[in-house]
Amino acid sequence: MPPESSTAKVPVEERLFSLVLALLATENGLTKNEILSTVQGYRQSFDRSGDNANLERKFERDKDDIRELGVPLETVQAPGDPGNNQNLRYRIPRGAYELPLDVSFSAEETTLLNLAAMVWREGSLSAESRRALLKLRSLGVTADEPVLGYAPRVRVRDAAFEPLSAALERRAWVRFSYLKPGESEARVRTVKPLALIQHQGRWHLYAHDEQGVSKTFLLRRVISAIATTGKTFEPLEGNQSQFALAELEQVWNEHVAFVEVEPGSDAHTRLGKRRGTVVAATGELELHYSDVNIFADELAGFGPEVLVISPPELRAAVIARLERTAADHG
Amino acid sequence: MAKKTAAPLQAQDKLTFLLSLVPYLVERDRVSVTEVAAHFGVKPEQIREAVRLIAVSGVPGETHTYQYEDLFDIAWDDFEENDQIVITNHVALDDSPRFSAREAAALIAGLQYLSSLPENADRAAVASLMSKLSRGASGLPSQVAVEGSEPDDVLALIRESVARGVQLEFDYLSSTGERERRRVDALLVESVDADWYLRGWCHLREAIRTFRLDRISELVVTDEPISHKAADVTLPETLFEGSADDLVVTIDVAASAEALLADYIPDGAVRTTVDGRVRTSVRVSHYHGLKRLIASMPGVATVVEPAAARQIVADWASAGAARYHGS
Repeated sequence: MPPESSTAKVPVEERLFSLVLALLATENGLTKNEILSTVQGYRQSFDRSGDNANLERKFERDKDDIRELGVPLETVQAPGDPGNNQNLRYRIPRGAYELPLDVSFSAEETTLLNLAAMVWREGSLSAESRRALLKLRSLGVTADEPVLGYAPRVRVRDAAFEPLSAALERRAWVRFSYLKPGESEARVRTVKPLALIQHQGRWHLYAHDEQGVSKTFLLRRVISAIATTGKTFEPLEGNQSQFALAELEQVWNEHVAFVEVEPGSDAHTRLGKRRGTVVAATGELELHYSDVNIFADELAGFGPEVLVISPPELRAAVIARLERTAADHG
Repeated sequence: MAKKTAAPLQAQDKLTFLLSLVPYLVERDRVSVTEVAAHFGVKPEQIREAVRLIAVSGVPGETHTYQYEDLFDIAWDDFEENDQIVITNHVALDDSPRFSAREAAALIAGLQYLSSLPENADRAAVASLMSKLSRGASGLPSQVAVEGSEPDDVLALIRESVARGVQLEFDYLSSTGERERRRVDALLVESVDADWYLRGWCHLREAIRTFRLDRISELVVTDEPISHKAADVTLPETLFEGSADDLVVTIDVAASAEALLADYIPDGAVRTTVDGRVRTSVRVSHYHGLKRLIASMPGVATVVEPAAARQIVADWASAGAARYHGS
């Protein structure tokens, strides 16, 4: 029977907190039975003579929730009895739990990290950045008062971001339908997700296909749900997000367009200020872009303020778009 | 991975808060509830609740029965009567927790994104900060990256004007195509993905205005003192305030592209499906902005009504197409 009044409901955070404390305090680890029968929040519902299946499921979920916070909850095989689940021991090794002593942040660094966390205040990584800030405040450093206030924000509006980021974390193969820009039929892709990159304001997945060839996908062109195949892969050497950014930069560098812009127009001001734009002696702009179809959409928005000189496929794509819009609204 | 419901997320946040609060309190002999609340940016009552929970928590101990010496304890009189926190016994927890791999990744990607801020000009310092985050994480930070914008001297000038308390002056091309010289007290720099904005007090309009940085040119820092300081002004939550004069336009948009228009769709807009597309409404301050927006989504978004709006979009696109005829 429960040792204390079972009517007093223990809040979830108290149970999780007690579990972390108990597992940090133990040197050799606790068995599941020890945890369920003694730790605050479990012991109240533990039945010494009966079936504790519900409580065991609760413990499984709690372990996942705690691990997701970066708490290194370990399982240790019983030395004399490997493979016996009942004798598995659980613990949290202090060294892997605590922030290393040489990791500390100055007031200036704390200010920057506050801003970096603010970037994600909307959407996918907002829970992570909120928790990171709590841990940062735990260190007791007060941030500098900034001279100029910033409110930076990166948005993730692609439904594929969240499942891909979870798959990336677990190094799980994924499968999805992808409509390549310029193609009319989607194809199913099976890849190892390696990095998620925002380049030119758009989110991309950097991945390796089954042949180990690197591929970059635009998230907004993923048109199915993200399925995992059940297979996982070994971590790859090197900083994958840097490889991905380098590949995107290379593509961007190689694609050059020449356009004429109406002097003083919105197109003139904004395209002229884009990164890497060169104004030729004739007043033409030399621009870089990543994808002909996406850039054609953007240029079409400028209407008569822009005349594409080259390359021909970009010119044709812009004309087709303008004619389509005119026809749709005629 | 199964989608989490809101409830466990809340508990995870509360747990993180407890694990962060304890080392902070242990480090200090005595601290007031208000000071802790200010430091963590939460309400004082949230601190009191957490302290009450911590004070009765602990480890099962050798007896497995949570004996007194296995529990946290606080100076109760100080807490109840003076709102002061003094931890008199602590167990199991001493130091701050590591970041999770995803938490570290979020901060690292955020720093990359902000690489163009004048505050980030010292690249070596930022690189060292990123490497500290990696070392302070419980796993290899997962790979999320955001391209940084070019180091921009506009931001440095805006910052200088705020530091000196003087007005900025620049040419601004409005979205209706007018170019005017503006004098502005800078209040805040905001960004959304690759787009950067200055919010400030505009002396020409005598109101708070939002300016796109890429529409600003000929920027100078004047010697004229500002009349509005950031600390004295409450900025509206959203970058662009809706106004009573706004025009409401009905559009059809492919479901896959609806998110791209989210900023323009008013709260509570009616949404129906017509021929496989979403029919809804967008709010714009004038048709000049609308024609650019719709023309940049060819085949994906169409204006349904009013007819005047359709006409303006059609004219804009036809004029664009006409530039290629006979050339």
